[in-house]
Amino acid sequence: MDLFAQQLVNGLSLGALYALIAVGYTVVYGIVQLINFAHGEVFMVGAFGAYTTWILMGSPSHLSPGFAFGVVMPAMLLGGVVAAVGTALLMERFAYRPLRGAPRLAPLISAIGLSIALQEAVRLFYGRIPGFPDSRRAIPFPVIDGFTGRSWQVAGVTIQYSTAFTLIALLVCTTLLWWFVNRTRMGRAMQATSQDPDTSRLMGINVDRAIATAFAVGAALAAVAGMAHGLRYNNIDFQMGFMAGMKAFTAAVLGGIGNVNGAVVGGLVLGVVEAMATTYIPGQFGSSAWKDVWAFALLILVLVFRPQGLLGAKAVDRA
Amino acid sequence: MNDTGSLVTLAPDSSGPAPTGERWIRFAKPARWIAIAGAVGVLAAPFMAWAYRPDALDDVSFWGEPSPLQWFAFALGLLLLGCLVAPFVIKPRPGRRPRRLLAFNRGAKAAASGSLVYFAVASAAIVLELGGLVALEPGAWAGLAGALVATVATRALPEGHDPRLQFLNTPAWGQILGIVGAVALVLFAAAYGLGQDGASTFVTFGVLCGVGVYVAARVGVMGWLSAAAARNRRALVLAAFAVAFLFPMTQDGSDANMSIAVGVLIFAATAMGLNIVVGLAGLLDLGYIAFLGAGAFTAAILSRSAFATLGWSPPFPVVVLISGTVAAILGLIIGSPTLRVSGDYLAIVTLAFGEIFRITMNNLDGVDGPNLTRGSNGIPAIPDLELFGFDFGESHMILGVQIGRFANYYWLMLLVLALIILVFTNLNHSRIGRGWVAIREDERAAEAMGVNVFGLKLLAFAGGAFLAGIAGAVKAHVDVSVTPDQYIFMESAFLVAGIVLGGMGTVGGVLIGASILKLLPEKLRFFEDYRLLMFGVLLVVMMRFRPEGLMPDERRQLEFHADDDELAEEIGENIEAHVIPSLAGAPEPDLKGDDA
Repeated sequence: MDLFAQQLVNGLSLGALYALIAVGYTVVYGIVQLINFAHGEVFMVGAFGAYTTWILMGSPSHLSPGFAFGVVMPAMLLGGVVAAVGTALLMERFAYRPLRGAPRLAPLISAIGLSIALQEAVRLFYGRIPGFPDSRRAIPFPVIDGFTGRSWQVAGVTIQYSTAFTLIALLVCTTLLWWFVNRTRMGRAMQATSQDPDTSRLMGINVDRAIATAFAVGAALAAVAGMAHGLRYNNIDFQMGFMAGMKAFTAAVLGGIGNVNGAVVGGLVLGVVEAMATTYIPGQFGSSAWKDVWAFALLILVLVFRPQGLLGAKAVDRA
Repeated sequence: MNDTGSLVTLAPDSSGPAPTGERWIRFAKPARWIAIAGAVGVLAAPFMAWAYRPDALDDVSFWGEPSPLQWFAFALGLLLLGCLVAPFVIKPRPGRRPRRLLAFNRGAKAAASGSLVYFAVASAAIVLELGGLVALEPGAWAGLAGALVATVATRALPEGHDPRLQFLNTPAWGQILGIVGAVALVLFAAAYGLGQDGASTFVTFGVLCGVGVYVAARVGVMGWLSAAAARNRRALVLAAFAVAFLFPMTQDGSDANMSIAVGVLIFAATAMGLNIVVGLAGLLDLGYIAFLGAGAFTAAILSRSAFATLGWSPPFPVVVLISGTVAAILGLIIGSPTLRVSGDYLAIVTLAFGEIFRITMNNLDGVDGPNLTRGSNGIPAIPDLELFGFDFGESHMILGVQIGRFANYYWLMLLVLALIILVFTNLNHSRIGRGWVAIREDERAAEAMGVNVFGLKLLAFAGGAFLAGIAGAVKAHVDVSVTPDQYIFMESAFLVAGIVLGGMGTVGGVLIGASILKLLPEKLRFFEDYRLLMFGVLLVVMMRFRPEGLMPDERRQLEFHADDDELAEEIGENIEAHVIPSLAGAPEPDLKGDDA
């Protein structure tokens, strides 16, 4: 039972990470019916942005907990968000906006190109900036005293601080997102655009800005996930976006793409399934080497048998 | 998309506003002379020094002794001057309607811009290598100035009418001669280009070839050539195949270029298989490399390698069939979701399958699963092929030329590629190919018309996979070892990029795209680090400005520019021009089929 509870906690924290990224896929898809294949790279840029902020602050270490939680971590989070949002907005403006109305293949191939280009740009140029570490291999994420490696013991279950951070971040972000989408003018403009862009334009909504906002919102959440990833695994690298992006996309599809609640549910379910698969599948296939295979198998099964996802109401036609 | 489309209409008889060039038409006469002066500058530049030290480019620091790179500039200058002077030489006979066979003014514009790019790139390289503008000697300045003057001056020349050379009544032997000449030129250029060791010479030669082709296209020669090629397809195919077959003879037994050439052929063969799936049936497959991998792993496991895990090694022809079949079965499995999934979702499903394949091959190492592939170590030491007593690992003397190991495999791959192209074109022109195009353009309409959509989609996947499996079986022996990390997602992305770059659904385009993608990084080692970045940017830019590829299929081009009426009209005319016999000889029956 302890093992089950422990794996549940692990799965939930992994799932929260997936969910934060998945929201970005789903928000963008909901508004322009585009799979932003390069979203995983936005997540990676967010993590590097957070790390860069830490370096720019003079690589502070041995901090008092108050300073660490009150200044350093919020600053890193903000830096990551700025970097990721900037990247996403540029991407939207110069790669996706000109392709609106083009055949489906065009934006998808463009996204693959963007994904490769962003990874390579970080790999080649990040380490060349004086004072920055070599980005060709994994970079150790900053150790924050009083946070990194700390954990609580609750009824025999270990809960890392980073786990709590990820779960709380998910809770806060989704609440803020709900408020933004349902209570602000821009959020309502986004909803209107996703229902009918042409009519929205006639009603005086700046459709371009609404779409750009969707990209920005997704990127901000991905940057939070990037920070959480760094705290959880203690290192970041230029390739981290590919697998995380694929998993998050799986989560978005699992929950029903275009549905924000679905992305959160899908992420948590996927994380738990992955954690349980490595524990409860017997024999050689239960080893962690196979966990990605199970995740992808789940993705294929969902796409084939329930393309509208767990929470998706309407059938999605992706022809 | 269409807003940029209308900006580039420069045809004088278009109903739109007059293009900017027409305003300067009264200066056409002096402009031609100014441009000729510029061309003379370009021609003189190669005989002067370009840089003050020999270590930039291929030593361009001599007076009066042009290096190869400078001779290329001279060739560009000749091209430019020729286009400018030709109208004085070729005049319509008095009292006759001018025939307007060639559009020399357009050629002059293209050649001038091309020379400007050439000199700008060369000067930039010198400046960067030697540090500062002071490194440029008079030659570089003369060339730059000449090209710039010519570029500006040629803008004032009128566009003129569309070249009509392709409607000229040429005898059949003339057309075939033209095709053979063009193909021989390609062989010569390829042999010469590959023989260049210096990266700068290789790049600049590539630029020269590119500008040459562009000028030929603008002048109207390419139109004639493609019309002739369309009419004498068999001659073209034979000539191209003969040239490809002769290529190892030009290499003097050197294996360096042949190993690159084998790599290009394997890549092209795989891309051609993918072309069936993506280009014809319109199903984006992002995990296609898995089929090549399946073929390679099957061949490796069934080979006589000491590390093969099955201990059964049938003769190679059997292995090829088994490899193809294994890949085809995998293709059926991957294709089966197409019943319910299409578009972007299908792309993601295939990507997921590709990753599953790679991870599975990594895990079948005896620890995480049964031992079949030896995990990430892969299967090394795969012996060379021996077919009918012919050992592919040995060197042979043929007609006094030494033919090395890679040349042997090159010929084998050439046969495989020919087979794949044969399958591709025959399928394309058959009922099955029509069905695929119908599915690509509108799946529901196709289904309503009685096309067996699911069956044809499965056939596309299985057929494409079978061909890739065959290529993989040969690749296992060429590469000597097979490991899972040769079959990562990036390789699938490259294959898609190769097809997109050349033009989806065409044979020539995909061959060109595959050659560019595989050849450039091999020849440009200094470029190695940046090639992925370049490809990423290239894909984005390509989708933005020319989503249909370098050599597009006409029907495809229309799909990408659905609301460009002018293009639709133009393509409609072209199809008519093909069907109405404008050149000598009867029209090909399958071209008529386009309208049926």
